[in-house]
Amino acid sequence: MFLKVQLSWNVIIAAENLQQGSLMLQRAILIRLLGDFAAKRATKDLGYFTAVTTLDKVGEGKVRQHTGDVLFPVVFNGVTFKLFKGEILEGVVHKVLKHGVFLRCGPIEHVYLSNMKMADYRYFPGENAYFMNEKASKIAKDVTIRFVVIGTKWMEAEREFQALVSLEGDYLGPIASPDI
Amino acid sequence: MSGEEEENAAELKIGDEFLKAKCLMNCEVSLILEHKYEQLQQSSDDPMNQVSQVFEKSLQYVKRFSRYKNPDAVRQVREILARYQLAEFELCVLGNLCPETVEEAIAMVPSIKTRGRAQDDEAIEKMLNDLSLIKKFE
Repeated sequence: MFLKVQLSWNVIIAAENLQQGSLMLQRAILIRLLGDFAAKRATKDLGYFTAVTTLDKVGEGKVRQHTGDVLFPVVFNGVTFKLFKGEILEGVVHKVLKHGVFLRCGPIEHVYLSNMKMADYRYFPGENAYFMNEKASKIAKDVTIRFVVIGTKWMEAEREFQALVSLEGDYLGPIASPDI
Repeated sequence: MSGEEEENAAELKIGDEFLKAKCLMNCEVSLILEHKYEQLQQSSDDPMNQVSQVFEKSLQYVKRFSRYKNPDAVRQVREILARYQLAEFELCVLGNLCPETVEEAIAMVPSIKTRGRAQDDEAIEKMLNDLSLIKKFE
């Protein structure tokens, strides 16, 4: 689910980037904020940092001793993406393995659907390996799947989430789409 | 798996901060991100190089999974769903998945039945009809 969040951060502007004129300063703060936002990538609590939407407030700058850099408190709105346990979502298969498939869902690539969580599907090996059940419903690369999230895991070092998902439930499974 | 408190979106247990946080439907995010991308195109020759990986993947995703494209339709979807005393989270799941039947809607958002909000089948049916009308006239 995408979330609209309001955040309060501190932005540091290096002394050499402090130019005259409030517009230039505003611009430097915004550029720095966008850079920090993208670099942060994700946090455990808020999920993936997708976009900054508005910069609402820039507080008074404080000069830092020794370096002469200036620290500005800012308040801004942004969009993040987080998966919740129990949430139902749609994603696209990007890798088919013997024991399950990996899906892409929003910015997350490590969404794993194990064969154990789609028990009526059987693996068919080959160059374009796929899973299929008795009703000829097929799970292959680029197929859209509706699934339920059964667990998520935050990996601090990679700043990534992993998710385990399942097809056990009503109205879950591959979704007919015109491009297949 | 995060085990501190049992999170379960099906029962609308997603933490107070998220219950109150504003959720966004894919179609709303699509409008926001496409607008941002257009702005970048005007100020840069190579806009894809200017955006983060998270932005790029999110944009691809919401483009594929937006049921409504037209900004007026997107606004109307939220207006209609807002009449049914749904939590933000429930509202967005319905707007994203566009269930076709009452049974499917309850399967997608089980909490609309369990929270004892007198959300009867008739009301859900009317809500789904209203949504499909928007889709038809888009």
